Amino acid sequence: MKKKALVVDDNAKNLMLEKDLMDVAGFEVFVAENASSAIAIAKKEKPDIIILDVRLPDMRGTEAARILRQDKETCDIPIVFVTASVMAEGREELKGITNSGFIGKPINTRTFAKEISRFIK
Amino acid sequence: MVEILTDQIFEDIVETIRESLLVLNSDLKVISVSRSFYDFFKVKPEETVGQLIYDLGNKQWDIPMLRELLETILPEKTSFDNYEVEHDFATIGKRTMLLNARQIEREVDEERIILLAIEDITERKKIEAGLGKAHEELKAVTTELKRAAQVKSEFLANMSHELRTPLNSINGFSEVLYDETFGPLNEKQKQYVNNVLTSGKHLLLLINQILDMAKVEAGKMKLALSSLPMKSLLNEISLLIENMVGKKKIKMSLEIAEDLPDIEADDLKVKEILYNLLSNAVKFTPEGGKIGMRVKKVDSEIEIVVWDTGIGIASENMDKIFEGFFRVDTPYSRLTEGTGLGLPLSKKMVELHGGKLLVESEGLNRGTSVRFTLPILSRMVV
Repeated sequence: MKKKALVVDDNAKNLMLEKDLMDVAGFEVFVAENASSAIAIAKKEKPDIIILDVRLPDMRGTEAARILRQDKETCDIPIVFVTASVMAEGREELKGITNSGFIGKPINTRTFAKEISRFIK
Repeated sequence: MVEILTDQIFEDIVETIRESLLVLNSDLKVISVSRSFYDFFKVKPEETVGQLIYDLGNKQWDIPMLRELLETILPEKTSFDNYEVEHDFATIGKRTMLLNARQIEREVDEERIILLAIEDITERKKIEAGLGKAHEELKAVTTELKRAAQVKSEFLANMSHELRTPLNSINGFSEVLYDETFGPLNEKQKQYVNNVLTSGKHLLLLINQILDMAKVEAGKMKLALSSLPMKSLLNEISLLIENMVGKKKIKMSLEIAEDLPDIEADDLKVKEILYNLLSNAVKFTPEGGKIGMRVKKVDSEIEIVVWDTGIGIASENMDKIFEGFFRVDTPYSRLTEGTGLGLPLSKKMVELHGGKLLVESEGLNRGTSVRFTLPILSRMVV
C-alpha cells in the first residue's frame, strides 16, 4: 500500500511542486492551503508524514502542529516544516515540537522526497 | 573646641574659610561673617554686621525655609545638616544653597550663638541636572538604536522569506524540467531551462551572501569552531576547483607545507573563503594562465596565498574591490559570473576568525594574489 503524505502550503505553485515530487516518489498525496483544512485532512486520512509550511493564512504552522500534537489521533504523525524562514529567528520557532524536522526553501528537488522519507518511522 | 578659643582667633577662623559662614547671636543678628560671604552675595560689611539675618541686603534673606530652619528646627535639634534651599536673590539671581548650622554656647558669656555655613551648589546642581538629562538622552538613543536594529533584522528575515518563496518555484520547477522527470526536452528547451536554473541559483547565492554581510555587520555571525584537518580540507577544495580549471585550460599548482598544523576554525566558513578566492582566481584568469595556492605555518598562524596570473587589479581599484558589487570594468570581467560579494564577505569571515586578508597585484594583467591568515588556536572568547 502507498504511504500517505499531506502537503500544506498556501502558495499554490510551491504546493504543486512539493505534491508532484512526492507523487513521483510513490506517495499518495493529500494537499491543503491552510492550517484548518490540513488539520481536518490529517484526522481523516492519518497520513504517514505531514509537510507543513510555517506562514499560513489562518495560523502559524507551529500552532497547527501543536493542535495536531494534542489530538491522540494525530499526535504521532511526523511533521517536516518546509519553510522559507531559514534564518535563526525562524528556526527558533520550530524548537519544542516533538517528532519534527526542517527543510529550508528553496528545496532541492533531487533529494526532497528522500529527505522527507527519513522522518517516517 | 569653641570654649578655648578667644574671640580674636574665632574671628580669624571665620575670616579665613572659603565657604560662606555667618555667625549669629541668639536673636539671629549677625555677629561675624566670612569674607567669602561678602564676595559671593555682593553685600558690604557695614550693611551686614549687627543686622537681623532676614534683613540682609534689602531683606533678600527673608526666606521662609530659612526662617523655619533657624526658628523651629535649630532650637529643637541644635544642628541641621545639608538643607537645600533655593532662592532668587535680587543681586545674584537664582541660587541653590546647601545650609549647615550648629547652635553652640560660648563659655565666656554663656551666650548661645549660631554658626551658619552656606555652600552655593547652583553650578553643581546644573551639572547634575545636565548629566541626568544627558543620561536620559543616551538611554533614548540606545533604545532607538536597539529598535532600529530589531526593525532591520526583522526586515532582513522578511526579505529572505519573500525572496525564497518565488525562488523555490523558479529553481524547483526548472530543476524538475531539466531532469526531464515528466518527459524529454529538446536541446534548445533543455538549454533554456538550464539558463533559468543557473540564474535562479545565482540569485539564491546573492541573497545568502547579502544576508551574511548583514549578519557580519550586525555582529550576529557566529563561528562554529572545531579542529580542522587543514591538509585534507585543502585537498578537498582543490578537487572541487580542478573541475572548473579543467574546463578552462588553466593550470593549477598546490604547495602545502609538510608541517602544516590543524587549526581551530569554522569548517563551513573556511571552505567558503577558500572556494570564493579560488573561484575568483579561475574566473579572472584567461585560458592558458595559471592559478595556485601556497599554504604554510607562520608563528601562531597559518598563511594561505591564493594567486593567479590573470587580469590583476589596477592600483586605483584596490580599495573598491572590498566595497561589494564592485566589478572591475574590463571587457573580460563582463563575461564572468559572480555576485561581487565573495571577496568582501571572505575578508569579513577571515577577520571574524581573528585573521587578516590582503590583496596584492602588480597592476592590470599582472595577476593577483590574496594572502590571508588564520590563527591556529582560535582567539575567539568561547
